[in-house]
Amino acid sequence: MLLKTLKIVAVAICATTASISATLADEAAETFVSGVLVDADPILNAQSTEDLRSGLAMLVDQYVDMRRVGLFTLGQYARQMTPEQRAEYMPLFKQYATLVYQKSLSNYSGQRLEVTGSIDRSSRDIIVNSRIKDPAPGDPFANANIQWRVYRAKDGSHAIVDAGANNIWLAIEQRSQFTSVVANNGGGASGVDVLISQLRNQIGE
Amino acid sequence: MLRLISTIIFCLAATLGNSVAQTADTGNAGNQPTVSGADPWEGWNRKMFAINDRLDKAILIPVAKGYRAVTHKKQRKGVRNLLANARAPFTFVNDLLQGEIGRAGETLSRFAINTTIGFGGMGDPANRMGIAPHTEDFGQTLAVWGVPSGPYVFAPFFGPNTVRGIFGRGVQSVADPVFWLQSDAADLTQTVRSGVGIVSLREPLIEPLQDIEENSLDFYASFRSFYLQNRRREISNGRADFENLPDIGEFDDFDDLDELLDEADVEEPSGDEGPS
Repeated sequence: MLLKTLKIVAVAICATTASISATLADEAAETFVSGVLVDADPILNAQSTEDLRSGLAMLVDQYVDMRRVGLFTLGQYARQMTPEQRAEYMPLFKQYATLVYQKSLSNYSGQRLEVTGSIDRSSRDIIVNSRIKDPAPGDPFANANIQWRVYRAKDGSHAIVDAGANNIWLAIEQRSQFTSVVANNGGGASGVDVLISQLRNQIGE
Repeated sequence: MLRLISTIIFCLAATLGNSVAQTADTGNAGNQPTVSGADPWEGWNRKMFAINDRLDKAILIPVAKGYRAVTHKKQRKGVRNLLANARAPFTFVNDLLQGEIGRAGETLSRFAINTTIGFGGMGDPANRMGIAPHTEDFGQTLAVWGVPSGPYVFAPFFGPNTVRGIFGRGVQSVADPVFWLQSDAADLTQTVRSGVGIVSLREPLIEPLQDIEENSLDFYASFRSFYLQNRRREISNGRADFENLPDIGEFDDFDDLDELLDEADVEEPSGDEGPS
């Protein structure tokens, strides 16, 4: 009798676990990221810096919701900036972020990423995991979990809003530095002016 | 004099090495921008960070570059393996204290394999057998036990940490048998181990930290964010705990931001369209 009860409990646990796993995965988001990775592959392995730069700019235009990320990285100041500041900030942020991606990815060579799974944080906020396919012996990124935060818009379309490795996220770090710059320069609109000025310097304008 | 220099180097390495190699604490700080619950001592921390940065550039980076120049990549890897293997007993104890029996078994297996067929720990055959390395420290154990992280602290010679992490390091230092040995040999052992450990940790981070500094508008804030995010990851043992990410609220705010995005659409009719 006891054994039978245990069996029933075990089956129930397994069924519940399987059910939870099924609901956590998001095939549409995984397919979206897989497509991005296919398009990104030749660009990440570009031979010249110029090819990498132009290729990344294209990828960003196509797949990253840069306006959303740009506002996110401003934290509470997104609502405090003037329309003029916003119009100035957005393209600067896009250039800055693309530059950071470019520098971060310039050392990649020959590695291909494959999607390994996903987790729904909500129906519109999905984490898609990926890793290096067939890593070379000794590759320091062999076990790295490269992650993509996918936002699903109300119309069902997808966009990348953050990228991370092993649960360390880039947009969160950028938000930390941007809000810090604004706060330490008077906060509000005057702080945003300083941020815009520093972004301009950083991208060499 | 040499001891003083090596002590300074040790402290610097602890500062920087801890940030990436051990990394530390949690709280919402990875997401907290400025003077907030996570970093209420930001003013003081920034001053200490600046002092540390100068010492790092004047002493530790040149030493780390010299170390790189006179050693081969495989030798440096061997030294890192050796130092990691020497930390295994601490990791093992903390695995147990956290109730992670499986991970304790992994640590024990790795220690046995690498100490024997890995030539005392210079090699890492255990990793090739599929037993991946991990580290634990008493600060992480305290976190698992539910002790709050306390404020973020940055101190020259001790690096980034939290109040909880500092306490954990103190306990761990006292638990080190070498700490209690009173002899010249023990002092030398501790000094050499510390000095080599710091330089060995700093060397592979020369370029990554330089990149972060060059890309960042606020190196202090970037460093703090990476440190705290990484520490949170270590405490959760790398498990994907997205529900507890500190940014849940912010990303939920995306819907609220739609109004702003709509305004941006009106103001930026060309060139900035996202895909969604």
